[in-house]
Amino acid sequence: MGYAEFKAPKGVIKVEVELSNDIISDISISGDFFMYPEEAIEQLERVLVGTKANRENLLAAVRAFYSSTRARTPMIEPEHWVEAILRAAGG
Amino acid sequence: MAKEWRLLPLRVDDAFTSMAIDEALLRLNAGGKSLNTVRFWRWLPSTVSIGCFQSVEREVDLEVAKRYGVDVVRRITGGGAVFHDHDGELTYGFVCRQDDMPDDIIESYRLICGGLVGGFERLGLRAEFKPVNDIQANGKKISGSAQTRRWGSVLQHGTILINPDVRRMFELLKVSPEKISDKFIASAYERVTTIERELGRKPSFEEVRKAMSEGFADALGVRLVEGELTKEELELAAKLKPKYASDEWLRKR
Repeated sequence: MGYAEFKAPKGVIKVEVELSNDIISDISISGDFFMYPEEAIEQLERVLVGTKANRENLLAAVRAFYSSTRARTPMIEPEHWVEAILRAAGG
Repeated sequence: MAKEWRLLPLRVDDAFTSMAIDEALLRLNAGGKSLNTVRFWRWLPSTVSIGCFQSVEREVDLEVAKRYGVDVVRRITGGGAVFHDHDGELTYGFVCRQDDMPDDIIESYRLICGGLVGGFERLGLRAEFKPVNDIQANGKKISGSAQTRRWGSVLQHGTILINPDVRRMFELLKVSPEKISDKFIASAYERVTTIERELGRKPSFEEVRKAMSEGFADALGVRLVEGELTKEELELAAKLKPKYASDEWLRKR
């Protein structure tokens, strides 16, 4: 289980992640950010499970999350989630 | 003729009741059964509220909270952990139809926080809105807000720092191991301020409430009319309260 915190322009993203052969098998995201609608956070975690923990795949998954849910996260961009996840994954 | 919004009297409640009232107002406003409303309250006992995405274990020292008799509650809004000191903090709540707010999230914070900025000015303080959700005086945070949008309505609530016990705040919040050192407290004083510190006196809760209410009315271009919670609102709040008091909700994340 890897853990990391990343300070985005607005809010600290805290990620706990479990990997199995470089693929995310479990992930929990917390922090003091804003997301509308709030329950979209669970969808974000769901789309990340099964994703390979590299920048390219994570970015694609997070972008797909934004376009499918239309979630809004003031001053937090897809790259910020990815950075937090990569740090937690240890690479 | 300006639109009329409701202004509720100052209440003092436990955390779970206050959070339940907020949600009841939001639900009933969205259902067309509650007026757009501005309200203010104090917390008894003092409480730490955490944002809906925060992990309680990571943010709050529950042992310290227990020792001081401080309640801990999870909000339905995002953002960070706040220490609501019974003697030194006033919280506002604001509920209105989504149609009465800008769709853009930061712009809606700017509009509502503009009411608070006007309130601070009425108290004799120069304050400014810092996006997304803070208000600063002299470059230091003096108020923070959090907003949610559900079912067609907007709820925003936030903290107004009158003279909270900052040392206790840092004991309760897990900031870092050195958090209660004098050095850390000193650096916190560089980032956070209070009305008492900026004004050189402690205004009464009623004085702050009046200033902020006038600020809201001005910023929104509405007339605030004193009213009471309805029976329907109180009944719904009573139904919602157990969720906020539950361990399941507190430890959701």
